Amino acid sequence: MENEHVSLSIRNVSKTYANGVQALDNINLTIPYGMYGLLGPNGAGKSTLMRTLATLQEPDNGSIYLGTIDVLKQKDEVRQTLGYLPQEFGLYPKAKAEDLLDYFAVLKGITSRASRRAAVEALLKQTNLWDKRRQKLGGFSGGMKQRFGVAIALLGNPKLMIVDEPTAGLDPAERVRFLNLLSELGENSVVILSTHIVDDVSELCTRMAIINKGRILQEAEPLKAMADLQGKIWRRVVEKSALRGLEREHKIISTKLLGGRTVVHIYSEENPGNSFEPVAADLEDVYFTTMEGHIGNHKPPIA
Amino acid sequence: MKFWKIFRFEFAYLARSVATWLYLAVLLLFTIIMDTVTTPGDGVYVNNTFHIIATVVIGGFIWLVMGAAVAGEAAARDVQARMHPLTYATPITKLNYLGGRFLAAFVVNALLVLALPTGVLLSFYRSGFDQPGLGPFMPSAYLSVYFLIALPNVFIATAIQFSFAALGRHVMTSYFASFLLAIFAQIIAITVAKLFGNWDLVILLDPVGVAGIVGNELQTWTATDKNTRLITLEGMFLWNRVMWMSVAIASLFLTYLRFNFSSPATNSPGRFKWQRKVQPTISFENAITRARAISVPQVNPAFGFATYFHQTLKIALTSFRKIAGNPAGLTVVASIALISAFFGDRILTQFDIPLLPTTQQVLVYLTAPITNITSPWVVIPLLIMYFAGQLYWSERDAGLTDVADAAPVPEWVLLTGKFLGMSFVIIVWMAFMMIGGLLMQLSLGSVTIDIRLYLQVLFGLQLTDYLLFALLALVTHVVVNQKYISYLVMLVVFIFIAFPSTFQVEHNMLIFGADPGWSYTDMRGFGTTLEPWLWFKVYWIAWALLLAVTARLLWARGREHNLKYRLPLAMRRFTGATVWIAITAIGLLISVGSFILYNTNVLNEYQTGSDILELKAEYERRYGRHKNTTQPQLTATKLHVEIFPEEEQVEIRGTYTLVNKASILVDSIHVGSISGIALDEVNFNRPATGVVIDKELSYYIYTLAKPLHPGDSLQLNFVIHHQQRGFLHRKTNPLVVDNGTHFTNYDLLPAIGYQRHKEVKDPVSRKQYNLPARPSIPSLYDREARKKSLITDQNTFEAIVSTAIDEIAVAPGGLHRTWTAGDRRYFHYKTDAPIGSEYAFLSGDYAVRESKWENVVIKIYYHPDHAKNIDRMLWSVTASLEYFTGQFGPYPYGHITLVERPGAGGGASADASMINYGGEYSLMNPDDGLNGFDFPYYILAHEMAHQWWGLARLTPANVEGAGVLIESLAVYSGMLVLEKNYGEGHLQQYVNYLHSSYEIPRSLATASLLHANESFLYYRKGGLVMYTLSKYIGKEKVNGALRRLLQKRASGDVPLPTTIDLYQELQHVTPDTLNYLLHDLFKTNTYWRLKTKQFLASQTNTGNWEVTIKILAQKVVVDSTGNEAEVPINDWLEVGIYEEGNRPLYLQMHRIRSGEQTITLTVPRKPERAGIDPNNLMIDLRREDNVMQLDGE
Repeated sequence: MENEHVSLSIRNVSKTYANGVQALDNINLTIPYGMYGLLGPNGAGKSTLMRTLATLQEPDNGSIYLGTIDVLKQKDEVRQTLGYLPQEFGLYPKAKAEDLLDYFAVLKGITSRASRRAAVEALLKQTNLWDKRRQKLGGFSGGMKQRFGVAIALLGNPKLMIVDEPTAGLDPAERVRFLNLLSELGENSVVILSTHIVDDVSELCTRMAIINKGRILQEAEPLKAMADLQGKIWRRVVEKSALRGLEREHKIISTKLLGGRTVVHIYSEENPGNSFEPVAADLEDVYFTTMEGHIGNHKPPIA
Repeated sequence: MKFWKIFRFEFAYLARSVATWLYLAVLLLFTIIMDTVTTPGDGVYVNNTFHIIATVVIGGFIWLVMGAAVAGEAAARDVQARMHPLTYATPITKLNYLGGRFLAAFVVNALLVLALPTGVLLSFYRSGFDQPGLGPFMPSAYLSVYFLIALPNVFIATAIQFSFAALGRHVMTSYFASFLLAIFAQIIAITVAKLFGNWDLVILLDPVGVAGIVGNELQTWTATDKNTRLITLEGMFLWNRVMWMSVAIASLFLTYLRFNFSSPATNSPGRFKWQRKVQPTISFENAITRARAISVPQVNPAFGFATYFHQTLKIALTSFRKIAGNPAGLTVVASIALISAFFGDRILTQFDIPLLPTTQQVLVYLTAPITNITSPWVVIPLLIMYFAGQLYWSERDAGLTDVADAAPVPEWVLLTGKFLGMSFVIIVWMAFMMIGGLLMQLSLGSVTIDIRLYLQVLFGLQLTDYLLFALLALVTHVVVNQKYISYLVMLVVFIFIAFPSTFQVEHNMLIFGADPGWSYTDMRGFGTTLEPWLWFKVYWIAWALLLAVTARLLWARGREHNLKYRLPLAMRRFTGATVWIAITAIGLLISVGSFILYNTNVLNEYQTGSDILELKAEYERRYGRHKNTTQPQLTATKLHVEIFPEEEQVEIRGTYTLVNKASILVDSIHVGSISGIALDEVNFNRPATGVVIDKELSYYIYTLAKPLHPGDSLQLNFVIHHQQRGFLHRKTNPLVVDNGTHFTNYDLLPAIGYQRHKEVKDPVSRKQYNLPARPSIPSLYDREARKKSLITDQNTFEAIVSTAIDEIAVAPGGLHRTWTAGDRRYFHYKTDAPIGSEYAFLSGDYAVRESKWENVVIKIYYHPDHAKNIDRMLWSVTASLEYFTGQFGPYPYGHITLVERPGAGGGASADASMINYGGEYSLMNPDDGLNGFDFPYYILAHEMAHQWWGLARLTPANVEGAGVLIESLAVYSGMLVLEKNYGEGHLQQYVNYLHSSYEIPRSLATASLLHANESFLYYRKGGLVMYTLSKYIGKEKVNGALRRLLQKRASGDVPLPTTIDLYQELQHVTPDTLNYLLHDLFKTNTYWRLKTKQFLASQTNTGNWEVTIKILAQKVVVDSTGNEAEVPINDWLEVGIYEEGNRPLYLQMHRIRSGEQTITLTVPRKPERAGIDPNNLMIDLRREDNVMQLDGE
């Protein structure tokens, strides 16, 4: 069991909503065990993909396998080994934290009272909610709710962990703890982390995909992607008014404000001159370069 | 500006919602269905105002569910959608926010309800303006019903729903408001009205109108009223509108005051505690240092049956707690049970007389059928409907659905868990009911508490029904998967289950959860009713399994709720155990279904209401021409009856002696058998041939080879065999069962000649089947009809009846001999005088009490546990024999037999020389004291009086008023015996009881007593009138007149007596000055309106008291169309003055004229009360204002 690492393979998955929005467009991914980052802007289709992986949504076509389990058809089997933390969720306001976690423990198949009690206690302690275990969930703050959701997701040692924008409501310390936890989980299960925060991915993930408008733009290992980009990212600090002129001449991938001035990053395979200085490419540069369409290994089927 | 923007946005939002349009469609459809399924009465237009009002009111009741969704959405959508932090933070005032939202909800609801009058209008005129049966087009009818009933109702309901949802910050809370309004309508108003005996209170209290308008006001309307009358804003209805409008405005005002723009969560008191505790853990350094990896304990989840069982239980318990935690969850049923226990002495009554609180009686109260909407227990199906929805939607309402749906829980576990949770709640409700019942019994001092029976009935029979219903409700939500629409669908389903015949569905296999009904009586126990009940339940459980399979297949999970996704998913889910359960269910359904169908439609004939009507119509069409064919009279009946209670079987060999009493030859004998009962081995003691053998219509004609001469007789022999085979789809009263056999000749035995009572009676149905119109009873002036008695024959009776060895068989007549042979017991009964043409047989394990009055043997056969009233019965029988023989002439028989019949019922019914009484009669526990009311004593005196009136002695012609000669005279005679032995106090109680029936809403337009045609007139008005007359001219004179009537018109000879003869005899003994009274009481439908307006008293110098009474007197005659005409009064009426302790100081007749007048009198002591007609001798609908207290009350 311990060394039996499963991987998740997603083949030709597409989904169009009733209102005509194409949320997923022929997604093909192979996700090995370990941490996998799904990076993309809001509305890119991340949550749709995550929900589809979490058995909550049906794609129009395509197939998804977790090892030998057909995720789209053998939903029960998937759920038995699934941990899911949705982007948004509510809790029974009148229920107490400990009771609801215990309830979910049973739902997740932990029927022995002793191990359930141990699991609930451990998870509440680890998520720093032990002091509030007898409190009603209606009074929980956003961060507490998020931690409680994590506790639910972690119940039952999932082999497939799907976390949808988990760090959004967490304070810096919580975020660190949470990411640590995920990385540890990634040692023998598939953990998919969707986020629009580049740092989440760069700190954690061995592999990642960048998604936008329902399409995978780039699938890579962050370190390698950054290495590939070395020497192609140039930086210059300009006045805001100069920005328009630069835009015409260079492939600007990002602009950032720094002390009232604007830091411009451009993509260029050779030295653009023009007072640009080379910078070491980070994952953010990979992300923006990909979003701008300068690099990427996934091309649309019909160009 | 902001107000209108909020209003417009909200209105547009609601108007764009699909649900809103669906509601509109349902309401329109409802009006069309109502138009299709109802038929206007005789002489009523198709577009009658009665129909318009009833449809709009009942439609308004259904709308309560829709209105709750609309108002709840408007009030609490922001909180539900979690956008309240945005809305509440904007600079709007409460008035603008709440006002705009409320107005939008109100306008949408008002427009929705506009569909009702519009739909009615369309349904009337959908096929043109000149259809037959349409009356004039009355725009005012639609306008008034909308603006006086529907629109105010909408305002009231929307206001209360809106307030509940706004303050409860939850859309669903508005449903609770609807629930309260509906309950208020049905239960509180009716209960209050019953407790206070004032039915106007229903009109006042009912906010919806189903009880107040449809159940009350409209019931008083005549056919003419129904055509054109409108509800007007006056009287109690005006106060109803004022009161409920005030409640609505007050609730809106309260909402305005209490509502505040703050987040519900941060408002909760728990927050402060949390803040204090959480402070230290948020310190920054601390958090970083503790930011180490989480080590998740290694647990190995297991999946298998044990886990699923565990999960099911956990979900069930959580669901139970969720409902139990709801304010209405357990409290509603618990409080009804408690209140019932508290008012036990008012609930366990028969004719307002307390009953012994036996377990069986308490269970009768506790076990209303699910569909009985007038019982307080209707809350149970309503609560089930509400909570089934709450449970199904609980995850989605909390926003927890993604997390929960991704958990490894199979759909069937979710379904079963929630259903089990609901079941636990219902079981607790049942326990509350049981506790309520036990408390009821204990508080009333019951001696027998049968816990076993409680468990059997509440947790066996009743629980099964509720569980089936709960599953249906849950599955409806799963399949429909739209919260509000599911509620609506379920309500419609409930209405269908409650009123299937309205939709022309009659077979119980087509009505979800229905069964032929069970019954439990002390004598029969469950008898044969449990087995068919069980088969039907197995059949419905098979359906329930299929429903559960459907729910499991269509259970919406995750984000895809479209049937487009759910159907293919259902195909994938349809594997393994699900398939097997489906196959088992279908197998069960088919096998049990066919078994039931075999019983109900093959072993027994299945007849719909219209089948039966068609048969009756065909009977009349085919044989109606023999209506006046002369037939010989039945003069002697000899029967050998063999009763086999265990086998539910009876065989009768009979011989009828027929005598030609006419003056012409009779050449054929017409025999009518009972439908479904084979008539075999028919032969005559002279040559005869059967020319018509019509088994379908049970009509046989035999032609005699030689005609029967006047005065000649012949004998007819036959054999009847009856065995109950299998069971029927509907409730039946079994004829022959273990310790509970009861049948009459009308159930099994043939009759001679064409039977008019087999014709279609209802005028509308007669028209429908193209039968000539005829009065329901022949006119008093119909000379041909006056030759026919209600009692067709006067025959002597002899029977040898055998039954099982452990039972006693009872039949009319003296018991000549009894013996046993083999394992059978034989009884030989014979009457010593003719007994009319109606008789009964009973068999059971009876105890017998024997006594004697002069030469009359009195025997009482009773269930051994029902011995309480036997002495009372004996007293009543002897007192009656004594009094009636003295007043009206001798009792014709040497015996009188009283038998307890096995079924329920508190009344008794009389045949000649034999009286049977129901189970509740034996349990009546009256107050025998001076001011009490021994009603059971009266009942037997009444039945004894029938031995003179209506059976064998005085047998009236079967025309209008016949019931007066039978029942009114028996009521009057019974009153005399009651008065003689219990005095004035008990009699006055009975008079009050007769008057009280005038308080129940009814039309004032009735026939006069001479032409009486309904039991209200026979029993109630007739009794009051005879009593009044006896007070005016003395009972000796009245009794003398009755005696003479009996002497002149005894025992079935033509001319038969009618009310005209009674009138003439009474006229003979009435002084001319009171002729007007006789006229008012008998010939017209007269009401008195008597009122004391002022009552003053002052002490004179001599120590006497001078009394001044101001009186208002009116007399009104109401004709059959409801027209009221005031007529002048010049009547003798009692004026009474009473001192403390209700002792009369003065009671004299005064000449009273119309209008206001003052009477001045002097009395010796201080008066307390005074007024006109203090003893309520006149028919006066407002009796309470006849007399006034001195302090002006």
